[in-house]
Amino acid sequence: MKKNKTLIFMFMAPAVITLLLMYVYPVLRTVAMSFFHVESVTAGLDDWSFNGLANYFKIMHNASFVTSMKNFLAIWIVGGVITLALSLLIAVILTSGIRFQGFFRAAIYLPNVISAVALATMWVQYIFNYDYGLLNQLVTALGFDKIRWLGTDAKLWAMIAAFIYGSIGYYMLIYISGIEGIPQDLYEAATIDGAKKTTQFFRITLPLLKGIIKTTITFWTINAATFYLWSKLFSPVQTEGSTIVPVVYLYDTVFGGKGVVTTDAGAGAAVGVVLTIIIIIVYVLTDKLLKSNDLEY
Amino acid sequence: MKKLLSMILVAVMVLALGGYALADDPVEITFWSMWNEGEPQATVIAEAAEAYEAETGVRVNIEWRGRDLNTQIQAALDAEDAVDIFEDDYNRISNTYDKEKILDLTEMAEAAGYADHSYAVLNDQVVSWVGYLNSIVEQPQVGGIFYNRDAFEAAGIEELPTTWAELLDVCAKLKDADIAPFAQDSAYTNFTFYYHLVRYLGEDGIAELRDNGGWADNEKAVQAAQDIIDLIDKGYLVDGAPDEYPASQNKVGTGEAAMVVCANYVTAEVDNVFGPQNWGLINYPAMEGGASPDSCYVGANSLAITSYSEHPQEAFDFIMFLVTEDYDQKMADTAGQIPADPHNTCDYLPTAVDTLKNTTAPMGWCTSLNTHPAWGDMKTLFTELFEGKYETGADFCAAMDALY
Repeated sequence: MKKNKTLIFMFMAPAVITLLLMYVYPVLRTVAMSFFHVESVTAGLDDWSFNGLANYFKIMHNASFVTSMKNFLAIWIVGGVITLALSLLIAVILTSGIRFQGFFRAAIYLPNVISAVALATMWVQYIFNYDYGLLNQLVTALGFDKIRWLGTDAKLWAMIAAFIYGSIGYYMLIYISGIEGIPQDLYEAATIDGAKKTTQFFRITLPLLKGIIKTTITFWTINAATFYLWSKLFSPVQTEGSTIVPVVYLYDTVFGGKGVVTTDAGAGAAVGVVLTIIIIIVYVLTDKLLKSNDLEY
Repeated sequence: MKKLLSMILVAVMVLALGGYALADDPVEITFWSMWNEGEPQATVIAEAAEAYEAETGVRVNIEWRGRDLNTQIQAALDAEDAVDIFEDDYNRISNTYDKEKILDLTEMAEAAGYADHSYAVLNDQVVSWVGYLNSIVEQPQVGGIFYNRDAFEAAGIEELPTTWAELLDVCAKLKDADIAPFAQDSAYTNFTFYYHLVRYLGEDGIAELRDNGGWADNEKAVQAAQDIIDLIDKGYLVDGAPDEYPASQNKVGTGEAAMVVCANYVTAEVDNVFGPQNWGLINYPAMEGGASPDSCYVGANSLAITSYSEHPQEAFDFIMFLVTEDYDQKMADTAGQIPADPHNTCDYLPTAVDTLKNTTAPMGWCTSLNTHPAWGDMKTLFTELFEGKYETGADFCAAMDALY
């Protein structure tokens, strides 16, 4: 059959044009903006003045941005290790044939169904509450003094704990789908050969989940880099150093904060570019380090 | 017969179309509001718009844009979107957005006698920023120490404190009456400490510290921090403070605490949870050897008109309809706010109107510090100060210097 190139082009055109307008153009504009002094996101090109890497130097030397990057690293590394490890562990347990696995799957996934706003409010106003919070009730019942869970030292970790609670179910489902895709006869053969469950996990499950693990690391990196809502909900009145993350810093830089009237869209664009580069680096590294196509089943 | 009927129908259509084309289009103005439909402020604005249309025939098309309106305004102004009136913080209207796109209201305000229906301190502030009046105050704010009169009465306090020493006496009496003197949420530790620092150094003095550092070498800054440490050591903060907003400020509503440093919206927030409290307002007290105690935090949500509006006079008239007389009183009563028109009354906080009328030295929201690159970390240190993490004021100031 002869290909009708015009027809193919016409069918593709709406999607390609939409992609170029809605995705490629904003990305290119943001990258370009990061090299200019621009006060407002919508400022015309006449109001742009080229300033090279000054926006990048500005954010790198800004204490709030540095703090936000430290917080991002804590969320990404500590939160990531705990979330991915726990969700993998739960996924393995729930695919091992235990009773009520359907109920447990639903119960652990439930926080993903609830709005993050409601979830964070529950953690802030009830679980971590100093006077009547669940944790301090436990602490006082054990005979200890109340703890300031949302004090400056603990607030970031409290926020990460709440975020982990809200994220585990999502990653658990991804791991479950991966584990269920592994042929059962591999486990049966291993069992006949006398392999213990732990050996089966490290020799069969984990190697065959490399591709899934790579995906979840990339997803987690994107989640950590674009972390915004939980930070806002843990600092509802104004941005706080203990919970600031790069996207919140970006938002405050572009739109100003409480009592702050200066805006700098160029510096905000630089933050966006830095975050994108981080995500790309992590993706490339995980792709190189975790080869998912060296095993076939 | 059919021909006649056809001719009559055609004639009717032509007349109808012609009449429609010749009729004057009713004037419509578009108003972008920062409130959400159903909120008390939105309800009053909608009622005012309806009444204004009935009175003048001018239709006010209100778009409820919510609190993120401030992220949309500059883009709308750049694109010259069809908006006549928008609502935002008066500081942002004056200092963030493109001044060319916001109408100079000086002449219309003079013609309407606006000066008599507004607070000079807020108008002067706008003029000092922009050079002319570019916004009309809708919801004024005032800051200071908000206290529960019932708690003061229970502790036998008759005189309101005007100096820090007198305030400490008040704290002692409250503590003796088993009422914690101060509530303090971590979200406002920066505001409280800034207010305290203003009384020692003034905003210019603080700006000097912001630019050049040297906190530990500044005796007044050290003393300001030491005052807070002493306050904590004496047990003058309510249990749990600095707590997570709004847990601590709510303790004024439960009767556990008597005072809170904030802007007047704290009273509406507490009242919404616990019902109307018997509020009073104390101007932040003077420090011995400190700066002038006359300054007072003031702020406002204001209304501005786009410079490209096709109906600026109608837009201005609607604004005046909303922020003066009946609808302003209704806004104050319904939303628990200070009236924009000083002729109206503030039932929940009777002294607020006089405080605003008499204030000549406006103080901003941490204005002299919040442009510092380490502002986020400074706020953390302020909360740490209230958490009792520093042994002395000098330790705190050394930590501040370490941020430079």
